[in-house]
This record gives sequence, structure tokens and C-alpha cells, in this order.
Amino acid sequence: MLKAHREGGRLCVALSGEIDHCAAEGLRQELECLLADRSITVLALDFSHVSFMDSSGVGMMIGRYKTMAARGGRVTACGLVPPVDRLFHMAGLHRIIAVEDAHTGRYEQR
Amino acid sequence: MNNRMEMTFPSLGRNEAFARMVIGAFLVQADPSMGLISEVRTAVSEAVTNAVVHGYKDAGGEGKIVLRASIDDSRLLRVEVEDFGRGIENVEQAMQPFYTSEPDKERTGMGFTLMQSFMDALTVHSEPGKGTLVHMEKRLEEF
Repeated sequence: MLKAHREGGRLCVALSGEIDHCAAEGLRQELECLLADRSITVLALDFSHVSFMDSSGVGMMIGRYKTMAARGGRVTACGLVPPVDRLFHMAGLHRIIAVEDAHTGRYEQR
Repeated sequence: MNNRMEMTFPSLGRNEAFARMVIGAFLVQADPSMGLISEVRTAVSEAVTNAVVHGYKDAGGEGKIVLRASIDDSRLLRVEVEDFGRGIENVEQAMQPFYTSEPDKERTGMGFTLMQSFMDALTVHSEPGKGTLVHMEKRLEEF
């Protein structure tokens, strides 16, 4: 479900597949395990290979935002396909997670 | 285009993906847009997840879930997700945006809101101890 590598204080994670209730639970455990290393201050998630996400995925994202916010860190996301981007907007995830603009390549938080 | 389908599957988490796959495949005959397929798949995913997580309290494959769908000549899609689990005491409260019966878990309380947003109509019938029937409708685009 995920591939991860470190770049200094950043943990870069490429997610894949469909993030529903069934998948979200496994992702939560794997990510929390990786984030136990408190020198990680940025969790950079790549959604390029995520084709579907529902409200369980939103819950998983809010949970990881809380983990990072508790240590003064942050979460970023890139590569959102249109249905996933739409869900991010509907759920207000853009307000707490900096999302890379597909056109400008800049990370923006609204 | 009159067609319908019905299937029954156990309340396993991995059947959330299976139910999405089936509704997507059923819709193909109506040649809808990718956006529409994605909306219906999300609504079905939320309804089936509710049945697995709340109807049967995540108890594994003990429960039975029924997925029904039909498309009629007017291109009206009807989808039903039914479980025979715990039921919902207060449907109105359960349908409030961001309401969750399990705030300690990573739940958003967005399930019914997303079903409402992505479909044209949503009705929920539930009886405590007997189960829940979620009925959704959506008009498919004309060509």
C-alpha cells in the first residue's frame, strides 16, 4: 500500500490503490509506526497512484494531521486525481493540508 | 434500458471494494461519465462501510449485506444497500453532517452527507435490532 523514504526531516510516502475503510486502518497503523520517529516534521504524501478515496480516507488523513500537528509538524499532499481532489475540497482537507497545485507545482493551503 | 441486479455478500471490509467494483460494472451499460461513476461508487462505498462498521459493528463476516441496483428506461438509477444488523436508533441524528457514534475512532461522520451530495435522492429506513435499508437514486446523463 505504501512506499516510503526519508529526506532529512521529511518522510515521503507514495500511497497507492483505493483508500476506503478497509485500507485506511492498515495505512493508519503503517504510518503511525513510521511516524514514531519524532525527528520527522513533514509528512509528504504522494496520491498519484490513489484512484479512489472515501470518508474513511478523510478520517485517516485528519488523524495523521493531528499526529503531525501535535509535534509542530505538517502534512503535504500531491498528485491528487480529480475525484480525490474533489473529496479533499468537500471535506475541507485543503484547510489543514498543503496541497500541491497540479499546474503551478506550488504547495498551497487554503 | 431496463435492467437490474442483486447480490448478497458477507460483511467483510474487503467487500467494500467489491461492492464498488460491481456497481461500477453495472453502470457501464449506461455509458455514464467517469465523474458520475466515481460519485455512485463513493456513495455505495459509504453505505456498505456503514453496514460493515455500524450495522454489524465490524464483527467480521458474520452479517449479510444486500446490494441492489436498477436502471429504467428514463435512465433513473436506483441503488439499495441493506443490512440486517443493529439498526439506527435515531436516523435524523445519524444523518447530521459530522455526527459520529464513535468519536474516539477516526470517523468523520461524513458518510450520509457524501451519499446525499453525490446522489439525487437518499432515504434511510432503519429499525433498531432489525437492520437498515439505504435507498439512493440518481438520474444518469442523457446522450
